[in-house]
Amino acid sequence: MPSITRWFIKAGMIWLVSGVMLALVAELPDVQGAALLLPVYWHMIVIGWITQVIMGVSVWMFPRKKRNRKKEHSLLATGAFFLLNGGLIVRFLSEPFLPVFDESTVIPFLVVFSAILQLTAIILFVCEIWPRVQPKRKRKRERT
Amino acid sequence: MPGPAVWMIRLSLCYLLFAVVTGAFILVHKAFPLHTAVWGVLPVHYEVAIWGWLVQFVMGTAYWIFPRFPGDSGRGPVWLAWGILTGINAGVWLLAASVFMNDIAIAGRTSILLSVLAFTGLMWNRVVSYRNRT
Repeated sequence: MPSITRWFIKAGMIWLVSGVMLALVAELPDVQGAALLLPVYWHMIVIGWITQVIMGVSVWMFPRKKRNRKKEHSLLATGAFFLLNGGLIVRFLSEPFLPVFDESTVIPFLVVFSAILQLTAIILFVCEIWPRVQPKRKRKRERT
Repeated sequence: MPGPAVWMIRLSLCYLLFAVVTGAFILVHKAFPLHTAVWGVLPVHYEVAIWGWLVQFVMGTAYWIFPRFPGDSGRGPVWLAWGILTGINAGVWLLAASVFMNDIAIAGRTSILLSVLAFTGLMWNRVVSYRNRT
């Protein structure tokens, strides 16, 4: 398993645990603003865990364009990992506080910044995987 | 990689991009309100993310990678795999359009159900161990 895949999966597991813990906290009777936590834990689970594990495993399992290219070497996948996790961290530290500090000028910009980071990460991932998804015949033809 | 798997995975990547773009729009709208209509995109965002991206990607990868049937049967009838692809994508489009026409949501859910049933039928006997297939 290449190191980038291990990073994706381990980060995914951290998001899964965080998401489930936060979902539990939101259910506690005396917690105020549970509705603000709902998009946070859903995205921790769906993007942080499920999507990120899919990304890590597909970077590992999908056939590479050039057979001799090292599994470890992919700037696109590495960029996707750091931008996605950076984007998620910034998002979860800013999004729930939007209605709390509605006078703040910094928090809205952090939310927009996190959206840009996440979107860029997904674009990098699609650029990495798209050329690796092709029929076997075409791949063989390109290799010869 | 077989044709139906290639197209399921490629389409799911397109849906992933679409879901993230709509999600980014909603997030920006939370910070800097753009238009009240942006919230209308929310159901499209999660239906596309779940059915178009997650479920379809997993189905495409499973169709490609699971053990094949013994003999010449390969991955089973190819027409059925294309049918599964058509069903789930028709379902995603119908669910997305149901934001504007509520009546077609049932057709979308039915299309996805038929596709998932066909997928389960096709894949059930491919969930085996190679060790027991001498």
